[in-house]
Amino acid sequence: MNVRRRATRTVTPEAARLPARVWAIGGGKGGIGKSFIAANVAATAARSGRQVLLIDADLGGANLHTCFGMPAGRGPNLSDFIEDRIQDLDKAAEETPIPGLRLIRGALGHAGTADTSHEQRTQLVQASRGLGADLVIFDLAAGMDRATLDFFLETDESMLVATPEPTSIENAYSFLRASFYRKLAHGLRDSPVRDLVREAMDQRNERGIRTPTDLIAEIERLEPAAAENLRKLISSFRPRLVVNQVRNREEVKLGFSIRSVCRKYFGLDVEYLGYVSYDDLVWRSIKERRPLVVAYPQSDSAIYIRQIVKKMLQP
Amino acid sequence: MNATDTNLYEVLELIDAATSQDIDRAYRIARATYQPASTATYSLFSDDENAEILQRIEEAYAVLSDPRMRREYDARLRRDRASRHTAPPSAAPKMVALPVRENEPPAPSVPDYSLDEPDEPDDGVYDGPALRRVRIRHGIELDEISARTKINESHLSAIEQNRYDHLPAGVYLRGFLREFAKCLKLDPKAVTESYMALFIAHDRRPGRA
Repeated sequence: MNVRRRATRTVTPEAARLPARVWAIGGGKGGIGKSFIAANVAATAARSGRQVLLIDADLGGANLHTCFGMPAGRGPNLSDFIEDRIQDLDKAAEETPIPGLRLIRGALGHAGTADTSHEQRTQLVQASRGLGADLVIFDLAAGMDRATLDFFLETDESMLVATPEPTSIENAYSFLRASFYRKLAHGLRDSPVRDLVREAMDQRNERGIRTPTDLIAEIERLEPAAAENLRKLISSFRPRLVVNQVRNREEVKLGFSIRSVCRKYFGLDVEYLGYVSYDDLVWRSIKERRPLVVAYPQSDSAIYIRQIVKKMLQP
Repeated sequence: MNATDTNLYEVLELIDAATSQDIDRAYRIARATYQPASTATYSLFSDDENAEILQRIEEAYAVLSDPRMRREYDARLRRDRASRHTAPPSAAPKMVALPVRENEPPAPSVPDYSLDEPDEPDDGVYDGPALRRVRIRHGIELDEISARTKINESHLSAIEQNRYDHLPAGVYLRGFLREFAKCLKLDPKAVTESYMALFIAHDRRPGRA
């Protein structure tokens, strides 16, 4: 494939002053289209004139390069940076066929980010901000290991992808639950309620704390002083939801339902960002190894993706 | 759980200024969400918990959907809030575990129901595919529109596919477009004018009788 040179950077003066925004796209379950969404969101943002850096943080099953028709690479990748074989993350960034979009690959079949420390992950997110991009997007692995949860929590915006199947929704809730408790465990590590949070993470705890809202109530009762801090922590966690592979009207509304459940169960404000319809052209674009928004920009799904990106980019 | 401890607007995830249309929509979604064995809840809430939430939703809707009861409730809410601001902090009402509490909602925001609503096309041209996109975005099937408007589904389908040769004469088509637009909550005049311009241009192509 002809890899066009990246267009000369036309960073506006305002954009030049702003540090890169970092987004994470996750969802717990495999096969729900996270990479498809990540590739298309990144391509859409790049086509709107932004410099975008896409990072394949799925080190076990990295395949974002395939979404852009790029061959398996031999150059430096994210694993090389994590394992200190390269010092400069920029060296792992490669041009994609989309002007303005660069990719840092994961490494197929590699052990993964799970071995990294919390500090290393924070450093990676920080390093990614300094590579001249306006926007950095982390495409996360399936599952909910600590590394994946940290990327989901440490970035500026997090997007949760689910499909309308019960298994996917169940995994999305598990993922949110795991992220939620990890956020609390970290944010309250010096707090007197630390042990209470740890106890609550075990669903069969003796206090009968079943839901995060139960936990908040218990903390309000036992340590009113710590509750304020807790509320701040919770309100700073605002994942956004995208429902992928929507086939009908009922499934469109499922996003509102998930939002409502997150609020009643977790006390979390999850914004329903949008949905992407189930579409033969999506399947075709994946087979053609081209992002949908480039291959079929007028398709319904491409339109939905553009709307999602538009909302994400709103200040 | 004491229903009087929880703000009815919070139960339906509405802001105080919600219109009656907002209330109806929030109620419909909430009802669907907390049905027994609903896809959105089954892995988190038991049927009993769903039933309890559903009951609160019904109670909230019963008050908020009735203009007189809503006015009275709003007045009570204002009085409660005013007295809470003057009371010492210890007198603040105790929270209840579930659902969301009245005094400190986690982060007040309302769902963006525009996802459930149509958008105008970028170029302002309502051709068939643009109407189809709006319809899909709205989640409405053609047969529903046909049932609502009494327009034959094959005509609606021809409109969406720009199959001008299969469309009825101008005066009928105008009427169809107006009804179609209304179903999609689009401006009937804008849609009709835009689509008719395309239809007429097609009709005047050289080589057509």
